Amino acid sequence: MLLPKFNFHEPATLAEACQIMAEYGTKAKVIAGGTDLMVNMKRKLVSPEQLVSIGRIEELKKFDSTSNVLRLGSCFTVADIEASELIGKKWSALCAAAGALGSPLIRNLATIGGNLASARPAADLPPPLMAYGARVVLKKKSGERVVSMDNFFLGGALTEIAPNEILSEIQIDAPPPYSGASYINLSSRSACDCNLVNIASFIALDGPGGTIKSARIVMGCVGPTHMRAPSAEKLLIGEKPTEAIFAKAAEAAMKDSSPRGFAESRASAEYKKDMVRVLTNRTLSTAYKEAMMQ
Amino acid sequence: MKSVIHMTINDKEYEVAVQPNQTLVDVLRYELRLTGTKKGCGTGDCGSCTVIMDGKPVNSCLVLAVQANGRKITTIEGLESEEGLHPVQKAFTEKGAIQCGFCSPGMILSSKSLLDKNPKPTEEEIRRAISGNLCRCTGYQKIVDAVKSVTE
Repeated sequence: MLLPKFNFHEPATLAEACQIMAEYGTKAKVIAGGTDLMVNMKRKLVSPEQLVSIGRIEELKKFDSTSNVLRLGSCFTVADIEASELIGKKWSALCAAAGALGSPLIRNLATIGGNLASARPAADLPPPLMAYGARVVLKKKSGERVVSMDNFFLGGALTEIAPNEILSEIQIDAPPPYSGASYINLSSRSACDCNLVNIASFIALDGPGGTIKSARIVMGCVGPTHMRAPSAEKLLIGEKPTEAIFAKAAEAAMKDSSPRGFAESRASAEYKKDMVRVLTNRTLSTAYKEAMMQ
Repeated sequence: MKSVIHMTINDKEYEVAVQPNQTLVDVLRYELRLTGTKKGCGTGDCGSCTVIMDGKPVNSCLVLAVQANGRKITTIEGLESEEGLHPVQKAFTEKGAIQCGFCSPGMILSSKSLLDKNPKPTEEEIRRAISGNLCRCTGYQKIVDAVKSVTE
């Protein structure tokens, strides 16, 4: 497969990269690991005039865990997220999602920023990031803005990133005590596959053995973009975490989802809805177990 | 417009003029005649293009040659030494892990990468390490057995 022709830029700093994006706007595409973009370019779905490679810019690979907020550079690789002891301990659902993405070979190239910017409804990293209430930093020549993950995906492979902006950082707050999260993805193969349904659940208790004070359930593959399950979340608040309430929430999540079951979606709408119910139940149980372990 | 890139491949220095839209696998195979690295799917799904880049196994079909500038690369050709085949290569040939041989360079490099970090992996860890490499011939069992035999 031949790639289309393009002009290649490899800026040494983020500022230089923003300058190039300011100049070329929609004519330029950012490339980091390339595991999604290269495939699309080979299929002639994307043919940018200018390609801006940011994968080796040091400041975009940072891992700053010094404060109560984890700040990951957008070019931090998925393999490094999977291998991080700290992320495995404090943000276990993100670690699990990183381990589920692609294959070991893909994970060595793929970046967290790329998995967000490519905005695929089946992507692995968005559910746990949304479940943890993460934010992204979008940088341009004249400044930067912070966008919540809840507002980042606009549907139809579109994101909040403007043509002159670069996703530079992902910020994740430290989870409160007595909270837990879990991520499960369902696919036909254990690697190199596109998810059929993937769910991340987060619950926080108001004390050891207490009631649920906050809950976030994020569903992938069952709508135009990753989506929350608002009615499922609502009925969990204030309740004691029991198998029965999790089953009720799972039913509600099923009703919140809207899979269309068209030819390319890899499974029928009915099956996807049923799996939303199963995976929501399982992730809530696992999230609760994690919350109890603290 | 071509640009000149420098790579250290199998401990040798290379200087190559490449187009921006050439992939690393194409430069390795067509410009440098290192045809041990294979082309299968071109989309990062089969792993036959596996090379080790800066210590990590990657799909060279997804890496632009210009992105490989300044990097250290090991291809399958780099595993053999004056003493003979690399232990993983030897195990593959002895344990029936090679039939048509097309997946073998990628499988061997992925396995070698695993053993470099984890000299005594479990069967599950071995299978996970080669999960990015597809084999149509062997059914994977003898490949797993070959890697296990290197750890004993």
